[in-house]
Amino acid sequence: MFASILVNGLVNSVILILTALGFSLTFGLSRVANFAVGGLYLFAGFAAWIFLRILGLPYAVAILLAIILTGILGAIIYQVLLVRVRGIELSEVIATFAVGVAILETFRWAGFVTYEFNLPSFFKGRLEILGTVIDYQRLIVIGVGLFLAVALWWFTHHTKIGLGLRGIAQDEHTALTLGIESDWAAMLSVAIGSALTAVAAVVILPLGIISINVGYEVLLLAIAVSVLGGLESTVGLVIAGLILGYAQVLTANFLGPQWMLVVYLAAIVTVLAVRPSGLLGRFKEIEERV
Amino acid sequence: MNRSLWFVLLAVALIAVACTAPAAAPSSSSAPASSSASASSVAAEPIILGVPTALGTIEGGDSLKAAQMAVDEINAKGGVSVGGKKRPLKIVSIDTREAEAGIPVNDALAAVEKLILEQKPHAIVVGAFRSEVLPASMDLIAKYKIPYMTSIGMSPTLQQKVTEDYAKYKYVFRNGLNSSYLVMYLNETMKFLGTEFGFKKAYLAYQDVAWAKGTAGGVEAWFKSNGWEVVGSDAYPTGATEFSSSLNKAKDGKAQVFVPIFDMPQSGILLKQARATQLPAVLAGFISPVAPATAWKTFEGDVDGMVNFIFEIGPLPVKGIPASVTFNDNFAKKYGEEARAKMSGHGPGPAYDSVYIFAAAIEKAGSLDADAVVTALEATDYNGVVGRVKFGKDHQAVYGLDPKEASVGAAFQWRNGNRVPVFPAVAAESKIQLPTFK
Repeated sequence: MFASILVNGLVNSVILILTALGFSLTFGLSRVANFAVGGLYLFAGFAAWIFLRILGLPYAVAILLAIILTGILGAIIYQVLLVRVRGIELSEVIATFAVGVAILETFRWAGFVTYEFNLPSFFKGRLEILGTVIDYQRLIVIGVGLFLAVALWWFTHHTKIGLGLRGIAQDEHTALTLGIESDWAAMLSVAIGSALTAVAAVVILPLGIISINVGYEVLLLAIAVSVLGGLESTVGLVIAGLILGYAQVLTANFLGPQWMLVVYLAAIVTVLAVRPSGLLGRFKEIEERV
Repeated sequence: MNRSLWFVLLAVALIAVACTAPAAAPSSSSAPASSSASASSVAAEPIILGVPTALGTIEGGDSLKAAQMAVDEINAKGGVSVGGKKRPLKIVSIDTREAEAGIPVNDALAAVEKLILEQKPHAIVVGAFRSEVLPASMDLIAKYKIPYMTSIGMSPTLQQKVTEDYAKYKYVFRNGLNSSYLVMYLNETMKFLGTEFGFKKAYLAYQDVAWAKGTAGGVEAWFKSNGWEVVGSDAYPTGATEFSSSLNKAKDGKAQVFVPIFDMPQSGILLKQARATQLPAVLAGFISPVAPATAWKTFEGDVDGMVNFIFEIGPLPVKGIPASVTFNDNFAKKYGEEARAKMSGHGPGPAYDSVYIFAAAIEKAGSLDADAVVTALEATDYNGVVGRVKFGKDHQAVYGLDPKEASVGAAFQWRNGNRVPVFPAVAAESKIQLPTFK
């Protein structure tokens, strides 16, 4: 039981981290809260499904195209909608949430609602860790999640583009004086965040099916993990993912699976009440002090 | 770039996605009315059959198709005789979306009432999908006094309400399986597994909805009163896609039988997860997406060995019940082999029969008067694709093990890509076999 909780908790945690990575990164880099994350997640899943099952493209090509298309869709969302309301946080939230719902409900309207919509595992097979059997797809999820978390930390801290994007998030006017074009940077961050959400989708969805409610659930998970970890902190995101992931597995094992959703809601409410900036949040913390 | 151009690009992308939607799109257009109704019957005022159900589910969508097939067959023969005049049947449908997570009962009821007020149906077939919606729908039906025959909703509350207040609820019938009969079938299967293989440890996982909770409760009670150990029992909210915790607990507790009871499309993934955890137990129960013949391909063979129920004979062609074979052949001719292979295991058989039952009742009553039709329905004795249909005083069709005596459900086992009927004896082509756990 202990080993099973340990292994499954890790898998679950990495799934949460991956799910929230795009949302957190976009906010951390441009302070744009992209509430269309659930719609983008499903868009990537259905796009991969269409490329694979309808157009018959090789799986790797289907996945790559889905990620690129989702990134482009993110850029379009920024250029069409967000650029008009940039800086008005409530309007950003409403606009992106509406886009997310529109994407999800368009798929529902188009009939993407049956069990047939699923993606195959990258590789079939499994191995045993600490007496617990784990399939290759879950190992891939862990690998991709850890790789992306490290790669993104490196990108945002050790590359010119990453540092430039963070500069916009810290002080837009100062960044402008240094020649960083804020609209371009924000569009790039939304596009990268959307593409990351697509990576999460194509890696995680083979474990389940592509269903409309998954889109809504993803939004809730992304918010819960990001709020708990601190919206702009990659390290905070990882810690929050681990806390919520293990809390969820423990809840499922000892209280029952029907209580799992309560974990997220309780986390959001508790963090907002006790420490609104999250575990490792910095910007909001300063505002709170002021 | 010009913003309006961006907008056009987005619109084109969305439309492109919508246009690539598969043919399974849930709308009444997926069950096109036949144009074969004779000219004379088309001229007469049609008898309207309403279909308010969750059309986005395979159960709801396929039931609509089956009902439409029966309507087209009857219309091709001239229609239904009402007071000496032949009239065609016509189906009108509405998607109640009641199977989706987060859709409240009130929304589903509003859809039902919209159909009643706008389309003015003379009778309703297929009916409520969700057991939570069915009892509430009964009050609407009592208000508008429309003969109603449900083929999907399984709550025994229907019988309770009809029995307790007959005058009010007499318009409601059910020719589909209910939870009590499903428990009976499942218990017979568990009894076989216990006797044949000496199994005594089970684990239950079920959807947190009325029919599944009731069924799981009935099976759990049977296990306990027959010396079985119930290792665990978990409820999952509608829409859940992660079942590993139950599978791991079942494995740790050395459960020999894992009983899943789900009707949500997401539940099929439980099979993949069971294989991933290498659960060494027989899976026997009901997972809606595992019932169709296409499930083997959809789940890449992970369904191998599972014993799954077909709630009512019809979608599973069984040699011992020739009408079920004919039904499958005709369904394939009308909607294509792919649609037949994808047919749901709950709803289509009784939905098809219900149209014929209504046609016979209307002819017998000689009018569309609701009370007269109800009286005729109560006297139904009809041999359909689900076996013999007779209603009890509580307006529930009697289910049993012999199609000559009652309506019947069946269980099959997935083996090497084929659905092999294993229960009841009249349908069985083989005994349940232990799968190879790999």
